[in-house]
Amino acid sequence: MLAVLAALRREQYGYTLRKTLSEHGLEIDEGTLYPLLRRLETQGLLASQWREEEKRKKRFYLLSSEGALVLDQLLAEWRSIDASIHQVLKEQAHGND
Amino acid sequence: MEMIERYLQAVKFWLPKRQKNDIIAELSADIHAQVEEREAELGRKLTEAEIEAILKQRGRPIFVANRFLPQESLIGPLLFPVYRFCLKVAVLVYLIPWLWVSITILISAATFPAGQPRPQWFMTLATIAGHLWSMAFVAAGALTILFAILERVQAKSHFLDNWTPRKLPPVRNLNQIPRSGSSIELAVNLIFFAWWAVYAHSTEVFIGASVRISLNAQWLWFFWAYLLLALVNATLAAAKLMHPFWTTRHAALRLLSDAAGAGLFCWLMKANVLTAVTVAGVSPEKTATFAPAINSWTATFFPAALIVGLIIVGADIYRIVRIQSAAESLSA
Repeated sequence: MLAVLAALRREQYGYTLRKTLSEHGLEIDEGTLYPLLRRLETQGLLASQWREEEKRKKRFYLLSSEGALVLDQLLAEWRSIDASIHQVLKEQAHGND
Repeated sequence: MEMIERYLQAVKFWLPKRQKNDIIAELSADIHAQVEEREAELGRKLTEAEIEAILKQRGRPIFVANRFLPQESLIGPLLFPVYRFCLKVAVLVYLIPWLWVSITILISAATFPAGQPRPQWFMTLATIAGHLWSMAFVAAGALTILFAILERVQAKSHFLDNWTPRKLPPVRNLNQIPRSGSSIELAVNLIFFAWWAVYAHSTEVFIGASVRISLNAQWLWFFWAYLLLALVNATLAAAKLMHPFWTTRHAALRLLSDAAGAGLFCWLMKANVLTAVTVAGVSPEKTATFAPAINSWTATFFPAALIVGLIIVGADIYRIVRIQSAAESLSA
């Protein structure tokens, strides 16, 4: 979810979003991605619009202002957890020495 | 491309009405984008087999649609363990009587003379065995409906969140014997001992002034054995009252006493101990048929008595195993 919100700071449609995530090592299948995008939109964290591109109608998603706030909070939480885990691993590594 | 349309149609069938078109349009765009990208890589149109592989990799239409549906369950993970427990209890409540009835039928059927019509009680038991199954299914269905309703009530009111550790049951000790139970056991055995000694010591038994029952000499063996058993059981109950915990020795004595009681009772069913029944005012020709009829009727209950006896002995053996395994786990 964090990765999806972060990637949608730039407007993208589902397929390119999936490719972007995949290129960054985050494989997510379409069966998970599209329901997630719908839930995030229902929660007001994303905004979407149908637009024609390359002769095909596509739904483009973009992080909403509320989504940007939630993303900042989630990132802060994630960094805090990451720091805690690092601390635990560091203490264990010292204990083993 | 027809295959893609068929796939989308199959997914659409399972989707919620209001979102059908929107989801399908997005899914269609995604599949077509994937196909077009692959075609650009290969520099040619995809074959039917390649499109089939892409669709297959996306999953069965119902599973794909299911991801877009709200997660629902008839009985959720919170109530499911309770539901499973209640279902097991319900099954046992019906299964044990069904097993008892069925085994009785099987043993009895083997003793019937060939070609003779089955007696009424046998047919009744067979009917009961059939009814027990349908009752078990109805009970399981009713439990499922009840828990499905509870699930919905819980989702709205969260009534299961209101609890306090004070109301949890006290810690159980399976080897503890309630003193109330031992007291009742002692009283019952003493009353039985006195009653048996007074009324069952003779081979001539009078019921009121008009009925006289004559028993053969084997009855006295039965009388003394049961008198001794009542005394042993009363002593065991008194010992349990003093030391209210099961020990292996206690449980083994209980097993011996129950096995002897059950064995004697089964033997009595088949022993034809009744020799004559005399009723005042009834002609001797008529009363002469009573004793053989009662003996024969009693003998038909032998299988049922045998099963009950085996169940009691089985429970006693299980108790010994439980005590020993508890002792082993304590010493480990």
